[in-house]
Amino acid sequence: METVSNSVAVVEVENLRVSYGPHIVLDSVDLRVAAPEIRVILGTSGCGKTTLLKTMVGLLRPERGVVRLFGKEIREPDSPDTVEALKHVGILFQNGALLGSLTVGENIALPLQMHTSLSKKLIREIVELKLTQVDLPGVYSLLPQELSGGMRKRAALARALVLDPPLVFCDEPSAGLDPVTAAGLDDLLLRLREGLGITIVVVTHELASIRAIADNVVFLQKGAVLFDGSMAKAMVLESGPVHDFFNRRGPLGETAGRGTLEFAVENIA
Amino acid sequence: MAKIDQKYLAPATVIEMPEHLDRGWVERFSIARERPSGPMVLDLSHTRGVDSAGLALVYYLNRRYAKAGLSLTLRNASSAILQTLKNWQPDEENKKTPRQISIGFFPGIGGSVLNAKDLVVEALSMLAEMLFWGSFGLFKKRDFRRGVLVEQMFFMGYQSIGIVCLLSFLIGVVLALQAAIQLNRYGAGIFLAPMIGIGMIKELGPLLTAIIISGRNGSSTTAEIATMVVGEEIDALRTMGLNPVQFVVVPKFWAMTLTMPFLSLSATVVGVFGGYAVAIVYLGISSSLFIGELLRNVVLIDVVENIIKSVVFAWLIIWIGAFHGFKVKGGAEEVGRETTASVVTGIFIVIVADAIFSFIF
Repeated sequence: METVSNSVAVVEVENLRVSYGPHIVLDSVDLRVAAPEIRVILGTSGCGKTTLLKTMVGLLRPERGVVRLFGKEIREPDSPDTVEALKHVGILFQNGALLGSLTVGENIALPLQMHTSLSKKLIREIVELKLTQVDLPGVYSLLPQELSGGMRKRAALARALVLDPPLVFCDEPSAGLDPVTAAGLDDLLLRLREGLGITIVVVTHELASIRAIADNVVFLQKGAVLFDGSMAKAMVLESGPVHDFFNRRGPLGETAGRGTLEFAVENIA
Repeated sequence: MAKIDQKYLAPATVIEMPEHLDRGWVERFSIARERPSGPMVLDLSHTRGVDSAGLALVYYLNRRYAKAGLSLTLRNASSAILQTLKNWQPDEENKKTPRQISIGFFPGIGGSVLNAKDLVVEALSMLAEMLFWGSFGLFKKRDFRRGVLVEQMFFMGYQSIGIVCLLSFLIGVVLALQAAIQLNRYGAGIFLAPMIGIGMIKELGPLLTAIIISGRNGSSTTAEIATMVVGEEIDALRTMGLNPVQFVVVPKFWAMTLTMPFLSLSATVVGVFGGYAVAIVYLGISSSLFIGELLRNVVLIDVVENIIKSVVFAWLIIWIGAFHGFKVKGGAEEVGRETTASVVTGIFIVIVADAIFSFIF
């Protein structure tokens, strides 16, 4: 299995196993993300991408293995080390996860209120700056439910960036967006990497986005890492699941055509 | 010499399949329901197309005849039809996987006991967290949003008072009417005042209020938190270093703590007023006599008991509501189920607590 080796590790995952009850979702997963890059975690539906992301940010406890962010081990969600590490991490959830009882501005301001001693006016300035960075002016006083899907994603991204984290996780950022809006979001992620030097880990299976933004990719299949390398190398593979994924080829289904019952046949027409 | 079953020696039955082997034809064709009695041939010489029902019929017959040890032959099938049959034949192993694994009776009981233990531990942890953050958490100024307390008091308290008072009044009227009929027989109508007064102040005021509030505020707490869980808002709070219990539950905890005594006392007063109305109108008791008897029999400790009960009931309702909300894993069906469970459990717990209070006071 090809891997990427870099000098400064921002995210380290070693020998990770995650289960939901008796069902093993991830097994023996190793991963190393260096700064700054856009690392895309991809795979078919149900391969464990979101589970891996949630484990990396401490929302799920692994059965075995270690996760480190900036060298600090992430154990339980509420442990002091995890809380401290997550102050340097921004997370964009699949549906934005903006709090419906707060306005957009209040949502974005929340991490600043909780983790800094900045004045209210300065917090407001920073929030307006973040809204400008994500191309979303004029929505400070609106409620999340008053925004479109794409706007909610941008607002959620602004919240993820408000503490200027060096590392951002994005869970299916283009899910549910039209191609134009998705392309806009991809551009934004690229600008963040180039302009602010942010390391971004993106979980997605949208081919167009992967091709547009990925520096390196991690391909998961049935909870295991099948490929971990540069996008360029992934694209030139000539066979195998990674090749099939990028070329949109695959069997009809997991179980179709695997029946073993024979048919007795006479006189094929 | 061993006898051979005649069905193996019978000549094959030939069934001519239609041009479109589809659901409409399969519904009319009864051979799927008949027991195999001999070899069968399906003549597909005229068949040009097949849908899911047609495929399913062929797979089913093939399996059934193979199990009976009889041959089923496909005759004159086009290569396209044969390829379709091959492409979509499901994995037989998949069919064997039971949806639910049946376990024995005693392991089942053991499993239920362990699940119940886990639930109790989870519930008690939620209670401890709620009480901890509701007390010490107040000293962490940044983590407590004062604006939201007023908002919650408005929703949970002010907006509940109408329904609470209306129902209490009606209960007061109904109780007084029923009691008055019996008391009047013995010329003891005057005892209506202390009966309604003590009954409402010590028991019905706080209990009725708690039942109504469990249905209203308990369910809304569960639904709100459950929706936040499903929408990953709780995950977002955790990743921002915010404790969800502290952020979401504590404002409701304090809103209920502060408003429930007022609701309970209001319900009590209005309920007693209902009884008063019955006494004046139905029994002809004078207003001053009713009020005099009421004040003679109701003491301050009864009012204190009313307040203490209402606060404890408030904590129980919020605790149960939050517990069921955080239990949700996903899906609208689960949100609905836990919301219902929260109301039922809340009412049950409140009545049990009231029974325990009866022994204490």
